[in-house]
Amino acid sequence: MAGAFTSAPVSAQDPALNAPSFTPLPAPSLNFYGSPGLLDMPSAEMQPDGQFSVSYSWFGGQARYNLTFQALPWLSASFRYNGIQNLSTTFSTYYDRGFDVRARLWREGRYRPEVTMGLQDFAGTGIYAAEYFVATKQFQAPALGFGGATGRVKLSAGLGWGRLGSYGAIGNIGNRSSFTPGSTGGTLSYDQWFRGDFAPFGGIEWQPNARWGFKLEYSSDAYVAETQDADVFERKSQLNFGAEYQATPRTRLGAYYLYGSEVGVTAQIQLNPFHPVRPMTVPAPLPIVPRSDWAKTEADWSRNWAQSAESRLTLRDQLAQQLEQDGLILESLEIDSTRAEVRFRNPRYRSDALAVGRTARVMSRILPASVETFRMVPVRSGMGLSATEIRRSDLEMLEHDAHAADALVAVAGIGGAAPLPDAALVSPGLYPAFSTSVSPYSAPAYFDPDQPFRLDLGLDFKATYEPAPGWVISSALRQRLWGNVKNGRASNSKLPHVRTDQVEYAQYGTTLENLFVSRYWQPDHNLYARATAGLFESMYGGVSAELLWKPVDSPLALGFEANYVVQRDFDQRFSFRDYKTFTGHASAYYELGGGYQMQLDAGRYLAGDYGGTLSLDRVFDNGWRVGGFFTLTDVSAEDFGEGSFDKGFRFDIPLDWMLGKPSRNSFGLTVRPVQRDGGQRVHMPGRLYGQIRDAHRASLTDQRARMWE
Amino acid sequence: MRILPVKWASVLGLALLAGCSQGPDGPTLELEVFQLVQQRVASIGGSAAAAVERPPLTRAALDTVEGPYIEVTVENRDIFAYLSQQLVRRDGSPGEIVVWRTEDNITLALRSGVLVATRGLGDDILSASAPVATGKPGPVTGGARSYQIRGLDNKTQTLVMACSLLDLGPAPVEIVEVTYPTRRIQERCEAQNSLVVNDYWVDSRSGRVWQSRQWAGPTIGYLRIRQLTI
Repeated sequence: MAGAFTSAPVSAQDPALNAPSFTPLPAPSLNFYGSPGLLDMPSAEMQPDGQFSVSYSWFGGQARYNLTFQALPWLSASFRYNGIQNLSTTFSTYYDRGFDVRARLWREGRYRPEVTMGLQDFAGTGIYAAEYFVATKQFQAPALGFGGATGRVKLSAGLGWGRLGSYGAIGNIGNRSSFTPGSTGGTLSYDQWFRGDFAPFGGIEWQPNARWGFKLEYSSDAYVAETQDADVFERKSQLNFGAEYQATPRTRLGAYYLYGSEVGVTAQIQLNPFHPVRPMTVPAPLPIVPRSDWAKTEADWSRNWAQSAESRLTLRDQLAQQLEQDGLILESLEIDSTRAEVRFRNPRYRSDALAVGRTARVMSRILPASVETFRMVPVRSGMGLSATEIRRSDLEMLEHDAHAADALVAVAGIGGAAPLPDAALVSPGLYPAFSTSVSPYSAPAYFDPDQPFRLDLGLDFKATYEPAPGWVISSALRQRLWGNVKNGRASNSKLPHVRTDQVEYAQYGTTLENLFVSRYWQPDHNLYARATAGLFESMYGGVSAELLWKPVDSPLALGFEANYVVQRDFDQRFSFRDYKTFTGHASAYYELGGGYQMQLDAGRYLAGDYGGTLSLDRVFDNGWRVGGFFTLTDVSAEDFGEGSFDKGFRFDIPLDWMLGKPSRNSFGLTVRPVQRDGGQRVHMPGRLYGQIRDAHRASLTDQRARMWE
Repeated sequence: MRILPVKWASVLGLALLAGCSQGPDGPTLELEVFQLVQQRVASIGGSAAAAVERPPLTRAALDTVEGPYIEVTVENRDIFAYLSQQLVRRDGSPGEIVVWRTEDNITLALRSGVLVATRGLGDDILSASAPVATGKPGPVTGGARSYQIRGLDNKTQTLVMACSLLDLGPAPVEIVEVTYPTRRIQERCEAQNSLVVNDYWVDSRSGRVWQSRQWAGPTIGYLRIRQLTI
């Protein structure tokens, strides 16, 4: 990968040239809207690819919480939640949500500045709606202070429309209607983009060293709604300035003086999937000992052992014991004198490639010399997901090859797993399996205008019983210990209240979160099936069936899911409400390459509405996932209510990325700007695609680095 | 929420403190985080694990040790370990591979004294080419050298460097009271704007690299390796 390495000081002996490093170059600082820029004005800079930044800004009674993701090197998207005190008489604090998107038009050249086009708050009710073109040029500057790093000056200038064209306009294009608080919003206001007055803005950022930054800008925002229509703050000047300090490599803090009257602050937290909090460290595996070192006589290569059932059972038990050392669970061994297939579960490592590699190593340690062909089959929910076939001689020959990972993948065969043969030696004592856990939980609720963030905290008591491979009986009891979600707003939805009665559900503190039985099986080659019955989630129970077609080496998967669900009573025990419905979808999943995954679902949603959902996610090889989705159904924007249609974004931050040691857990969050009843699906535990894809060819070969780990 | 009876609440409180899971399913996210916090708190309460003082090594003590050992120091973390020899083998490429292992499951693989792989250090070198020849210690030529490093989003990051080999002449090296007649061989590798300098103290008579300072990837930096016993 070009450009993966940077240079950072390692050795005092060679101050001029440093050893290659993964240390990231400093990221651009953010503005009050969470995009690279000055204070209130943007710059043309882009964040490093994949950057995930969370920022908070406050001035003059206005708070903005921003989340920005650099989806492509030249494209970023932001979500913002903001509160403005005293904006209108109806709300004491006016809250709003908005999305931004920014695209770089061209990079910085020797003389040419970087130029970026931005759409700010382009789909909400549009209080911050603005469009702009901005150019930024960076210059070296004399260093100040210690560290020896040279300083930087960044000059930015741009032209803004909408809010950014409201002061000092120099012309106009067409007309632009004004912002109206309280409209449903949610639709793209493309007929307004780059319309109305436009005005110039600009500024300068000086970073004398790696820690400090000073910013000065001329703002083209007149804050009409805040200072003329209402009395949020008093605007006396268009010049803003301030200072920022890089407190840690991931946090930057700023203090400012804005509009001649107000003090402001920002806090910027920048995460990047490529730069883990701690480098991933896995205990070293045992090296492969080639058979030429220990199988030196004819007798060592004998195949007679295969005749003995007892010796095969001994091998199975030795394998199980050694796999356990690596955190893996042996499901079965199928073996003859020259071939062996090991089926295993992987509860420890996120990467199935790593688990396959460890299994191959264990096989090379245990199995007699005559076994030459190894097949490793990861198993989840009783289903064999793929079969990686590697010749033992290749393992022995390639471990210390200069290009070990590429060489191994080149000679490995990755195909579908055959059904479990009758001759397989199944591990004894795995079934029935019983798991229990007591763990804390947290359940947040967002964006209520009365109180934007509410939280419930408590304990989950979970039990899972697996009577046989592919069968799961699972239940969770939930005891709330503290919480205020129950104080939220009652639903005003015109549709059946399929999701908006969450406050009613939150009235009860001791609940049965779920109780269901699931059966997983593989009806045919490339086909996976699930049937579930019971209480799926806090709001719905019923019956569900799912079928997925996913060849191991295909980027395309097709799925079909049908559910008959009944809405559960608010107390979330065993009773139901009157609402029942059929809901189901046909789904297409496609891997676009480069870690982008697309999913298209079409079908009937919980409120009986018909339509489709499009989701796009960027998935990193270390388990990071950031994506967005929207759903259009035959519910009209008016019936849907605020937001006009269902949309949102989601992210998953792996725990192992933070800890630097193996884990399959992650912090996941799906955020909808508005939770309504249109375009909603039932939350089904154990849907197929996510479990299966990880062990298929694309994922295994993308993570081939880990096969030898 | 109704206020919980005291007894019920204390049972819950105990369960929370215990926070437990059993069975083949792994722990939940909350539980894993919770247990981690517990460990951290416990380690604060325990004795502050200050930097371990390097024990004074004497040759007399080393003579009582059985089997080959190397001492490895991670320069930028100032930590060190003694590694025992786990495996000696050959493959299709020139040179002899020796795998060394610490007690806490970190391994280094050296091909004729040239570091070609690390495991268990984090952002490890998965594999590397080595400019060695069978039967000769240390690097024998310059030229292209490739490193495959697992890093960033857990992918292979390939680094190809252009190396030149310098013989800096006789440079006897002392390792715990014994002085070996070695020459210092320096390998300077450049790529883009970066430089890696590996030094080897090679005893051409015994065919051994007694001491070296080698780069082990972007995160680990340089390792100092010396052979304590053979």
